[in-house]
Amino acid sequence: MKELKILLVDDEHEFVTTLAERLEIRNLSVSVAMDGETALGIVEKDLPQVIVLDVMMPGLNGLDVLERIKSIDKRIQVILLSGHGATKDGIKGLKLGAFDFLIKPIDIDELIIKINEGWNKYCESE
Amino acid sequence: MKVNNTQKELVFFGKITASTTHEIKNVLAIIQQSSGLLEDFLDMPDSDDFKHKDRFISTLDRIQTQIQRGIGITSNLNHFAHSPDNEKSHIDLNELIQQLSLLASRFAKLKKVSLSTKLNEIPLNVYANPVHLQMHIFNAIEIVLQHIEDGTLTLSLAQDKQIKLHLHHDLMTEDQLNDILSSEEWVLVQKDLCRMGIETGLGRIPKNSVF
Repeated sequence: MKELKILLVDDEHEFVTTLAERLEIRNLSVSVAMDGETALGIVEKDLPQVIVLDVMMPGLNGLDVLERIKSIDKRIQVILLSGHGATKDGIKGLKLGAFDFLIKPIDIDELIIKINEGWNKYCESE
Repeated sequence: MKVNNTQKELVFFGKITASTTHEIKNVLAIIQQSSGLLEDFLDMPDSDDFKHKDRFISTLDRIQTQIQRGIGITSNLNHFAHSPDNEKSHIDLNELIQQLSLLASRFAKLKKVSLSTKLNEIPLNVYANPVHLQMHIFNAIEIVLQHIEDGTLTLSLAQDKQIKLHLHHDLMTEDQLNDILSSEEWVLVQKDLCRMGIETGLGRIPKNSVF
């Protein structure tokens, strides 16, 4: 069985690195990107199965990145992170093929549940 | 023209406030994950040797509680900041009253008053200018707060033939009630809310009422 690879994408450096450390403590394999272009580079090279992606980022926004990820590999499961006033973006993301969306700030246990659900969905699509 | 300019100014204020609440939430998210990481370290088996472990755990609990409080406040402020987005919209009064009672809680606290809400069982929708509606209801709360101290002020919503908003204060005396009812500001706020299809009541809830 393949090892689960997670990619976290958020332009808030402190947020994304701390979250990555917390997931690593739980024995999950995580890489991070702070912008859409870097994220797409990692997707093409490493093919992570689950991506946690912030919607509001400078440059390529989360929804643009989502579309590009899906064009690289439809099986990749994307969990969007949106702010409280950006629920519309989350819903738009679901229409574009996102697996789910969470409102920031997020609870680590809730995130892990979603990551596992995304991982199961990825495995079913193989 | 004047109305349009006012609306533009409100939208501007709302836009900046909403964007700032987003930034504050990012800060809260970083604090939340950082304190969560400290909790993770304290959960590790070798952390039992750490002398102040229990004190750290209780302090981190307090930080988490305050983060949740901060998230609640910024979420409400974000919602509020989006009020001027549309000049008129369909508004669920249940949601609006809850939001306003949280936003007004600081004003109530200064008078040692707790604010509570009693919502209608089903959503109560009105089509109105969200800024004006909130301002009138807030004015009603503020007028009552000027006359009372201590106790709990409850905002109740109900619908009979018309939507009713009732403000009930558990310690209100007859004199206080009469002072408010006879004040010019109260009469004005009642008229403003009446124009928006909301009947306002104050004091004890009358018998055979829908509340």
